[in-house]
Amino acid sequence: MNGLFSKLSTRVLLIWLASVLISQGYAALQPWPKLAGKAVLFVTGGITSPKPNDDAAVARHLRNLGFVVRTVNAAAPQAAADGAALIVISSTANAHELGKKFADMPIPIFTWNTFDYPNLGMTGPVLHRDFGVIDPVQQYADSFAVLYGFGANITSEISRAVGLKPQLFGTLYLEPETAGWGRPGPGGTVIADFFGSRRYAAVFTYEREATLENGRTAPARRVGFYLGNDDFHLLTAVYGPPAADPNLRQWAIGLKLFDSALQWAVSPPPPEPVYDPEALDTALRRAARGMKVLYVERVNGGEGRRSDAHIVAHLRRLGFEVKVVDQTAPQSVARGMNLIMISSTCSKWKLANKYVDAPIPLISLEGLLSDTLHFTGRDRYTDYGEHGEILESDDPPENYLDIVGAWSPMAAGLKPGLMKFTYHPGVLKWAWPLPDATVIATLPNEPREDAIFGYPKGARMADGFIAPARRALLPLDNSSYDDMTPQGKVLFDAMVLWAIHR
Amino acid sequence: MSAAGVRQLVSNLICLVALTVAGPVVHATIFPYHGLYRISLPDAGSVGALAVDGRDVCVGQGDTVSLYAPTSAERIDHQHLDGTVRALTTVDGTIVVAVSDPSRLEFLAARSLRVLRQRRLGAATPSELVYDSLARMLFIEYRTAHTVTRLDPQTGRALGSVRLVGALGQMAANGRGTLYVVNSTHDAIDVIGARRMNYEGAIPLQRCSTPRALAMDTVGRRLFAACSNGRALIVDADLGFTFDRFPIQYGRDLRAAFAFRPLGPHGWKGGIFFVGGGAVSAIQMQSFVRYQAAGRFPLTRRVTAFAIAPPVGVLWLAVAPSGGKPAALWRLGTPVSEVR
Repeated sequence: MNGLFSKLSTRVLLIWLASVLISQGYAALQPWPKLAGKAVLFVTGGITSPKPNDDAAVARHLRNLGFVVRTVNAAAPQAAADGAALIVISSTANAHELGKKFADMPIPIFTWNTFDYPNLGMTGPVLHRDFGVIDPVQQYADSFAVLYGFGANITSEISRAVGLKPQLFGTLYLEPETAGWGRPGPGGTVIADFFGSRRYAAVFTYEREATLENGRTAPARRVGFYLGNDDFHLLTAVYGPPAADPNLRQWAIGLKLFDSALQWAVSPPPPEPVYDPEALDTALRRAARGMKVLYVERVNGGEGRRSDAHIVAHLRRLGFEVKVVDQTAPQSVARGMNLIMISSTCSKWKLANKYVDAPIPLISLEGLLSDTLHFTGRDRYTDYGEHGEILESDDPPENYLDIVGAWSPMAAGLKPGLMKFTYHPGVLKWAWPLPDATVIATLPNEPREDAIFGYPKGARMADGFIAPARRALLPLDNSSYDDMTPQGKVLFDAMVLWAIHR
Repeated sequence: MSAAGVRQLVSNLICLVALTVAGPVVHATIFPYHGLYRISLPDAGSVGALAVDGRDVCVGQGDTVSLYAPTSAERIDHQHLDGTVRALTTVDGTIVVAVSDPSRLEFLAARSLRVLRQRRLGAATPSELVYDSLARMLFIEYRTAHTVTRLDPQTGRALGSVRLVGALGQMAANGRGTLYVVNSTHDAIDVIGARRMNYEGAIPLQRCSTPRALAMDTVGRRLFAACSNGRALIVDADLGFTFDRFPIQYGRDLRAAFAFRPLGPHGWKGGIFFVGGGAVSAIQMQSFVRYQAAGRFPLTRRVTAFAIAPPVGVLWLAVAPSGGKPAALWRLGTPVSEVR
């Protein structure tokens, strides 16, 4: 009896987790008072630190935030981090001395030690390509350019806390300064970038269980920040009467960004999703009650007709009220709907720009619509493309995906790494979304070709478009649905549940 | 200059240079000024106010305003006023003097010190006058009343007043209608909209204890605050953001002044000088965003007032009577200052 009760309790908990957590991409930031008293290990270069440096000022700031700070030098053993709630690594620490000793520790790390990014798996290993440091001696002109960051992501918890907007902001105070950048792996989230390119991330994060650049998964949250040795006191802020100007408040956000990123790093991450198809199915059935889905297809379109019918049947079985319309139907048919799902049987050309601005969640099963829907840029084969289409792609057919966002409820609890999406290799579409998207899966061996991702409402999409509701890509070729593995179908359901959640 | 004057000048020069060399080295950077000479003042008491109009040095001492020629060290003229001189400043060829007992303004002709007109003030004792020559605004501060009033610079008529909370220190104006007053109670700079004399808020001075002194670079829009705990802060006035700090002497009697190109060459684009706490220290402005500590000059006597003459790069210090010696003016500069 006890065993049965225990199983039931677990199942209820999982259903609750599936239904509640799927709706939330990120856990909320822990309020500062709750973070007070947490132990922080601050790793610096100690007596060998380059001078001048701001390590003392940083330590003081951490203490002012309520942390209990213990400062050690780079040579300190890994055990020095025992009991710490957060490891903060200064750029004054020698990255070679640091090595990989903190890489696998399940303790959040906040670092501005750019050369240590590869040790932690946060970027690739090649200087100037995977990461770099701009300094006024070697790159005088660029050292002015890094005074300007861009709000690449406006929906992450950090971004929301800062009020980050898709616009420039002042990173450091006016002097040509030293700043680091990194190019995170597929599971990373770029918060702010330099030089007008997300390839030069000024601030980036990895959620726990997100896939790092080196293919491993982050054992705890990771944050890379753009600071140099003696920049901390130059992190921008505005005080006094000038702070009444909202434009100035949104410009001078360097210190706020630092604090919010720190707060995020040390806040508890969301619970890890558990792979439980039954619980997901139950949660989805509950959520589907009273929900209407507009399924847009090429009616009587030949190839894909059976798969379309099976998708519709599946949605109806879950309890959705499904309205099937042809690709040529006017957008007005979407009124009153709770979800728009666009089949890959649709013609991109015939569908035109329909549903792009619909304030209703939308899942596209067709990757080639990625530019139309502002998922990505308009450069085909660079911003989006496909594998396995003989006449349209050089890449072979594929049936596996690489899960890189296992932490997200959209990943349905699937483990990081390769998963069999369909039974047989076929056409798989991809796109390279903007930093506001949460990437769940990439194509194997193509960390920049993202197959499954979702934009939250309010996200910055391509062409300056702001997502009027949730938007997602889940690439299914015309007939792929019928070939999906059980894991693939779970991904499908998890995406639907995420998309419709209010 | 008479032979005795020359002898005194040489004597003082040797004395002050020796003092510079022998004084404790408190900072690696060499203070750029040396003692050039000093003028013993004939009147009793300390100098309460000092101003340099580019040509002459105007000294308020007790109830007397005197005019000295900087090159000959001779007193050109003087004027007795009924009361104690608390502050003075030059306004377009006129010397405006704030006098207490009773509180009033006296407008004097710049060369002759002839009294042109008077204006009665309130009951409070005036503490400081600041003339914003760009905005043509005159401000008077009453520290005991925690009040700052804007005056018509020609007539002295009160145009607006603001009462602040806390102990007020030095004032600085930005030439564009904003007045800053350092507030040692709140470790902040109070910001006042000068046109309506309304309090707009305060710029916090972090890790700065009991600030007393304030100066401003109106072109670079920088505020320079001196704190009693041995820190000078450089604040971007547009952001209220402290972007640099320098160690200076400790002291609760600090005063600050800024001047563009007080020395000009050798990387100097301006200088900030802090006087009090037994020393005068300098920060060199190399650009609008780059500053460097420029040494410290120990002082053997308490400074009661100081002023800077930017065109010739000279500092004037008024030192208090000490050991039977009367109050004096010390002139600090460089050999270049003399040539120019």
